[in-house]
Order: sequence, then C-alpha cells, then structure tokens
Amino acid sequence: MITEQGVKDLLSTSGYIADDTIATAVFLALRMEKPILIEGPPGVGKTGLAKALSSALDFPLVRLQCYEGIDEGKALYDWEYGKQLLYTQLLRTQLDTYLSVSADLREAVERLSAEESLFFSKNFLVQRPILRSFMSEKRSLLLIDEIDRSDDEFEALLLECLSDFQVSIPELGVIEAKRKPLTILTSNGTRMISDALRRRCLYLYIGYPELEREVAIVRVKFPEICDTLARQMVEFLRKTRELNLRKPPSVSEALDWAQVISILKATKLTPEVVANTVGVIAKHQTDLQKVTDLALQELS
Amino acid sequence: MERIIAGFVAALRESGIRVSPGESLDAVQALGICGMEGRRSSRQLLRLTLVKNVNDIPIFNEVFNRYFSRYKFFDPDMNVPELMDAAIVSMEGEFNYLDQLPGDDHDDNGPLLKLDSDINPEDLAELKSLTEIDPDDMDGIEIVVQMKGYRGKAKKAPRPTRRYTQNPLTIELNKSNSTQMGITFTPEEQIAMQDVVSRMMLRLRKDMKRMKNNQSRGKLHVIKTIQKNYRHDMVPFQVALRRKRREKPRLVVLCDVSFSVSHASRFMLLLLHTLHNQMLDVRSFIFNREVAEITEMLANMPVNDLMETIDTGDIVDLDENSSFGQVFLAFKKRYLENLRGRPAFIILGDARNNYDEANDWVLDEIREKARYMLWLTPEDRDTWSRGDCLMELYGSYCDKVEVVKTVEDLSMVVEELLRDIYADQAEPIDKKRLRDAKAAETYDSRDYYTRGGSSEPAAFDPSGRSHW
Repeated sequence: MITEQGVKDLLSTSGYIADDTIATAVFLALRMEKPILIEGPPGVGKTGLAKALSSALDFPLVRLQCYEGIDEGKALYDWEYGKQLLYTQLLRTQLDTYLSVSADLREAVERLSAEESLFFSKNFLVQRPILRSFMSEKRSLLLIDEIDRSDDEFEALLLECLSDFQVSIPELGVIEAKRKPLTILTSNGTRMISDALRRRCLYLYIGYPELEREVAIVRVKFPEICDTLARQMVEFLRKTRELNLRKPPSVSEALDWAQVISILKATKLTPEVVANTVGVIAKHQTDLQKVTDLALQELS
Repeated sequence: MERIIAGFVAALRESGIRVSPGESLDAVQALGICGMEGRRSSRQLLRLTLVKNVNDIPIFNEVFNRYFSRYKFFDPDMNVPELMDAAIVSMEGEFNYLDQLPGDDHDDNGPLLKLDSDINPEDLAELKSLTEIDPDDMDGIEIVVQMKGYRGKAKKAPRPTRRYTQNPLTIELNKSNSTQMGITFTPEEQIAMQDVVSRMMLRLRKDMKRMKNNQSRGKLHVIKTIQKNYRHDMVPFQVALRRKRREKPRLVVLCDVSFSVSHASRFMLLLLHTLHNQMLDVRSFIFNREVAEITEMLANMPVNDLMETIDTGDIVDLDENSSFGQVFLAFKKRYLENLRGRPAFIILGDARNNYDEANDWVLDEIREKARYMLWLTPEDRDTWSRGDCLMELYGSYCDKVEVVKTVEDLSMVVEELLRDIYADQAEPIDKKRLRDAKAAETYDSRDYYTRGGSSEPAAFDPSGRSHW
C-alpha cells in the first residue's frame, strides 16, 4: 500500500520535487478516487505534476486541453458519420439482398430498424479523451488542462464524468469507467470555476515553492549547476517576484534560466550575467528594466 | 471525530467559507484514510477537502488555529475516545461561556474592535483578538493612515479640504473603501474593486452569453457547409451558420475630476478600466474646465501612475473652477464628430457650473448621437437646484439621472446600464420573432411568401425548413 512518503519518493524518481501538501493531495486522490483541482500561477508545475505522476505510476496520460468553445464532441465522444456513410455505401449490395426478401416496404423498414444498432455501435464511436481514459484497460491519468478556458456549459458537462466516472450516450446508454482514472484538473484562475465543480474535487493550490524546494528542483533538473549557484539564482528570483512585475518569473522560468546559465557555463551570478540572460526571466519590456536594476543593486 | 469535524465545519461556515455536507464527508473519509498523525498533516487534509478557493485559505488557517488550539487533539499518547469526550465537554463549556458573556462588553471595547470588521462574537469569547490589538500598535496604524494621505501630495501645497465635508460622496467612499484621502489606490482598494467587478461579471456573464448566442446565430453559410460535409458525400450532416459580426458595446465616459467629486470619478475610472476589454469598448474623458481623453493612458499605464498624473494637473488644470458649459462645447468641437457607433454616454459630475454659461443645447446634440445618456451625481436630489447646481437643467436632457454614493452603487448602476445596452442590441431579433409568431397564427398557404405582413419575401431560414 502506497503512503504519502511513497508518493513523494515516486514523484522524485521522475524528477518532480513535491512538498507535503502535494503528496497528501495525490495520495488522497488515489485512495478516495476523487479528482484534484489544481490552481496556481502559471509555470509552477501544475501540468508537470500530472506528467510526472503518469510516468511515476505508469498510468497512461490522457490529456484534454480546454479552450473556449470545447464541447462533448471534442471531449467525450463523437459519431463517425463518414465511416457510417462509407459502410452503408459499401454494404449496399448486402443490404439490397437482405431487404429484397421482405414483401413490402413496411416489412423492409422493420427489418432494417432491427439492425439499426449496428450503425450506432462502439464500432462507429470516436472516443475523445475523457471516454478514452474511461475505456482504458489500465488505470490512466486524465489531465483536463486549463479548465478555466472552457465555457460554463462544458464545466456542467464534466460534472457527471467527474463525480460518477461515467458517460451517458443516448444511443448506447451509460458507459461506466472500467478503471477510474486519476483525474487532474488545472486552472490558472482566469475565470472563477463554479462551486459545483469545486465540490467534486480535492482542491490543491500550488504557489511559488519555498527556497529549499526550488533549489532542489533546479538541482534535480540541472545537476551540473552547483548548490551555491542554484541557491544564488533562486534567491535572486525570489526577490524579483516581490518586484510587482507584470509577469513574475515562476519555476518554469527558473528552470529555463538554469539551462541558459549551464549552457553559458557561468559559475557566479553577476549583474552582467543577469543582463545577458534577462530575457529568460522577464517577459515584458517594463519588467526587463526592473530586473536588471535589481541585479545591479543586489549582486554588485 | 465526526462531531469534531462537524463543529469545525460550522466554525468555517460562520467565518464565511461555504462548505457543503459532501465536503465534510470527504474530510471525514480523508482523515479516516490518512489518520490524524499530526497537526500539520491534519490541517493539510482538512484544507484539501474543505477549502475550494485560494482566497479562503488564510481564513481557514485562522479558524483552524483558533478552533484546534482549544484542546490538545493530536497528542499521540492519548486515546481517541478520551479525546472525543474531552472535546465534547470543552465544546459545551464553550457554549455556556458564550451564554454568560455580558452584552455590555461590546460597547466598552467598541473603538478597538472597529478596526477589525471581521470579528464575530466567538472572537469576543476568546478575548484573544483583543490582546492581539496592542494599543501601541494602533497609534502606528493611525500614523500610517495620516502619512498615506500626504503621499504624492508633497510637491504641491495641500488643497482646501472644505469640500470634503460638504460632499456626502467622498465621505461615503472613504468610509467604505479607503482609509486615506489619497491620490492612489491601496492594494486593498484595488482588490475590493476587483472583487466588486468580478461579482458583477459573474452575474452578467450568463445573461450576456445567452443574448449573444441568440444574436450571433445567423443564416446558413452555404460554402462552409459544403466544405464541411465534403467527406460526408455532401449530405449536410454538419451545418455551418454565418456568424454575425458583433461589436462590443461602446461607452463614452465623461468624468469630472475637479476636487468636489474626484473620489467618485476615480473609482469610476478604475471600475471602467477593470471592465474595459472584457465586455466594453470604453472611451474615457476627464474634465475640469477643459476636457481631455485618457483612453490610451488608462489602457497602458498602471492605474496608480495615471491617478498621480491626473492629480498633478498635467492633463487638465485642476486649479480652475469647473465649467460644464465650456466642457460640453469643447467636447462637441473636438470629439463628438469622430465618435463611432451609437455609444452610451455616462457623465459623472455634480453639475456645479460656477455660474458659467450653461450651454445646455450641446447636451441635446450629444443626446442625438448617443444610444443612451446617463448622468451620475453624488448629490442628493434636494440640493439639485441650490446654488450653482444645474442638475435640474442638464438632467432634463438625460435618459436617467442617478445618485451614486458608494462603489456598490456605482457598480449597480453600471451593471444596469450594461444590461440595458445588451438588451437593446438583442431587441431587433426579438421583434422579428414576435412578428413571425404572429404571422404563424394567421397562417395561410397562399401568402406563404409574404408572411409577416411585409411586402418583401421571407428570408431563407434554415431552422424553418422543418416546417415544410
């Protein structure tokens, strides 16, 4: 039986340094079979957690990227009209012979409608991500990414899937998940998610990590960067986050920066190094100046 | 354990966090799975299952600390039944204590408590929050408040504050939203504004979307339909409809920034700034004796910088007396011709013209250009005809004159306006529907092509095909 510490260790094998809250949330989600709703600023590893979990637990990752206007045809299932049409065309001769025995039109219709279910079978069903993860023989990891980009209607559509792990298809009836997938929803908070959806999930807020954890994250991904340099970088980034930038650098920026620094083979953080690589941390023109100023002030 | 959780959930609810029974069940289940090993992990478990919003996390932490500091729950040596009994006894004790609490205490400690509006009777019972507010600290806060008032004003001599006392608006706004007579907005004010706006947006969004969907549904797009159904052998399984081009509602705002109404207009600007780009196309003007457009600045500058710029008088001179007549004339000359569409107009000001020429005929012309004209004034109706106030005169040209005193008022008015604008745009379709419905009642196959009473043939309507 897996424990919270076990979750932590598992995640760290796939390069994700989790804190206690994250580990507990994942542990609970696995045990209670409830979805996790993760909120937090962009780039703190919300999607990264899902990916790391999928590789660590060996659950196949099924990803559904949300966008405005996404509907059940894109998320749950769709009928393959083209294939249905093609089959009727190809089977025309068989149909003709099959129906030719019938005495009149009424009987022909009856005969045909008896076979109707042929054309609305799983054969002609296109599985979209959610249904695919439900039908998977192995327990899968369903990642519903950036749920805040979708519309209210889509959120309502998810309610049935997330609370009961089933999909209702009018022609086929209710399809229940073979193995309940570990479900992770992420949101950047651009829109308020409805309470109904929140209620069905465990709520996990991932903020910017503490100093030690961020250093560890950088060190895990880029072992060639020595501990003192990593610490210096992270401390500097933490100060830039307090600058009230338009887009404060998050963990993903920290990793990008670490990569750049390791390519440049810098051994120490100096104002020049920061000035040369500032484009990796700051993503707005006004922010660039603020960061270089901070570097001059702090590092010289 | 269930009882403790239930009590804790009740405490959370009292502090304003919405927790459903299902969530409390989750919490119990989670605790059952993970066990109550330590304070930290239990708090994590409860937070994961009970709190569903980032903003609620600090409140949750506070309630958790308060609630579970009463008894030592998580001592591993004690056994659970004992703990339960202890908890229940101490909870009951708590309630008795509450009953015994004399009501007079509230009044005695009034001034101290007013600092923190979130304090509820439970806190009183604890008497903990009282000790937390150290009298020395209070001085500190007061000093900070006073300092803030002068921030940014240092360059100029303080202006007379006589008007503040006259004007109910500024006082109200100060009371509800700001602790300073300041130029810029504190983060709390901005958060409060965000809050007001986001609540408003939530209310509006659903209605808007429905209206939008109704409006954007158009006629059949033949080419796209053929393209889309090519792989279906041209059998139109999927229909593509033309989308109607829809524009954001336009809004033109004229804000008086003279000293008498400056607070109201600033909140107005902030409100519109927050709304801008979300569902509105706003052009903002500020005026005192002269008028200037600040749309670009609102979009590109941080709000606080802009407020300071306005306050230095670089955009419009603030030392002059405001003159609505001159402003209207200047507005007509410079801007009225190049306003696109039929915008809704909002004028915010007290209509105190300082006995200048009224030029009210200009308002008539603006009204012709406008879809809707709304005047917001901070003054009560009975002062409208007193002194140099021309509210009665100007008001006669407007669709509506509203008295706004607080940010809530302001957001209510703007929300109503937005609804009106959207409803206005939806109207043509509704009328047509009504006409069709009427025509259908007196349906006659002979006049099929001229149904609806108009001489032109009925437009091709894909949804109508099913009736053939």
